[in-house]
Amino acid sequence: MKTFRIMLKSELKLSLRGIDMIIFAICMPIVVIIIIGIIYGDTPAFDGAEYTYLEPSFSAVATIAICAGGVMGLPLVISDYRHKKILKRFKVTPSSPLMILAVQVVIYALYSITSLVFVYTVARLFFGYQLNGSWFQFLGGYLLVILSMFSIGVLVGGLAPNIKIASVITSVLYFPMLIFSGATLPYEAMPTALQKVANILPLTQGIKLLKAASLGLPIESVIFPIMVMILFAIICISVSIRFFKWE
Amino acid sequence: METTINVKQLSKTYDGILAVDNVNISVARGTVFGLLGANGAGKSTIIECILGTKRQDSGEVSILGMNPQRERKKLFEKVGVQFQEANYQENIRVGELCEVTESLYKTTIDYKVLLKQFGLSEKSKSLVNELSSGQRQRLFIILALIPNPEIVFLDELTTGLDSKARRDVWNFLSYLKKQGLTILLTSHFMDEIEALCDEICILKQGKTVFYGNVNEAILASPFEKLEDAYLWYTEEFENENI
Repeated sequence: MKTFRIMLKSELKLSLRGIDMIIFAICMPIVVIIIIGIIYGDTPAFDGAEYTYLEPSFSAVATIAICAGGVMGLPLVISDYRHKKILKRFKVTPSSPLMILAVQVVIYALYSITSLVFVYTVARLFFGYQLNGSWFQFLGGYLLVILSMFSIGVLVGGLAPNIKIASVITSVLYFPMLIFSGATLPYEAMPTALQKVANILPLTQGIKLLKAASLGLPIESVIFPIMVMILFAIICISVSIRFFKWE
Repeated sequence: METTINVKQLSKTYDGILAVDNVNISVARGTVFGLLGANGAGKSTIIECILGTKRQDSGEVSILGMNPQRERKKLFEKVGVQFQEANYQENIRVGELCEVTESLYKTTIDYKVLLKQFGLSEKSKSLVNELSSGQRQRLFIILALIPNPEIVFLDELTTGLDSKARRDVWNFLSYLKKQGLTILLTSHFMDEIEALCDEICILKQGKTVFYGNVNEAILASPFEKLEDAYLWYTEEFENENI
């Protein structure tokens, strides 16, 4: 436990020194929620909707940090540490490379939660946002989204043969997911054809789940997204456990 | 004398090429053992097979009577390792790297004492990236010593160090040896081998071409200096292959 604490402290410092997660996971969601708030503020989500445009968007924006950490930060750091043989060094200590991976997962989860707190505070203070649904369900869904997004990250980081390929894969995953899953561009505003394509992305399903929880829609409507998220997590985790490369 | 590192008939191939061919090594407690050979002769592969970071094709390895793969956690409380290539996080500071390393072990030597001993006290707040190559090399020796090990593995011990720093490292290792530390090292410097090693093994393309102490190595060759003898051992076998 002492090892974990000291390593978490030091890896967190290193991550903050890297600055990119502060930009992509902390600053960017705040900027996006402010823009959405200013442009659409009180307008209804669609004609005759009972909730404003901002309300479903809150859930979407809250996942930007998960997406940045899970499919960009996490795979890059894993592949970097393997490339630099840091994981190998842990193999010749009483600790294990798993420890440093666990530390990284915790760090990116912390970024996500911090981002959620900031986005909520901004939406609440400046645009009068209120979460009408259940916080309990929302946070449960949030953890599920973290689990499935991070499992993709561990998979990519564990299997990519080098950091160059890892960064190509993360870009291919990150940018489409960020734009088309509804995290930045509202899903509701997309043409139906695009929505169908977007539905393939696991994050789209995650955002649907969070929207339903935050708006207080019935849980039955999101059984499918829940199943998709869980399935993604199971597949990615089992494949990474089976094929993870330490070197 | 108690054997601390025991390697029997170790062989390892990479893509059909024999990198290590039937090598036997036995290192007694409190002695320094040197692995010699040109780049690519198999030194690092042997070290990695001993440490369990690479799996041998055949042969047996034990350290302190333990299997390095099965009893990893217990074994590496007592074993310090310095790999040839530096492996540390970007943007990490000297003190942080030491602190994290210290946290991995149950019993440790205070790293601040080691930093002082190796003349790096003032560098504690510096980025590891910004150290000179000699300073970094000393830092990695410190990391290997932090667990207060019974055995240390030092791959290319003093590469990049200036003469004074090398002497300092030798003196410190000699002191630790007197305290009972067992050392397995690789080096390209014959003066270093002569100053430190009780026994050596000279490798040529994965095969042992000499095994014994430094005097025997010189006596069995037509030369009077270890460097000449070493070149004779490695080149003679090269000529045979042609």
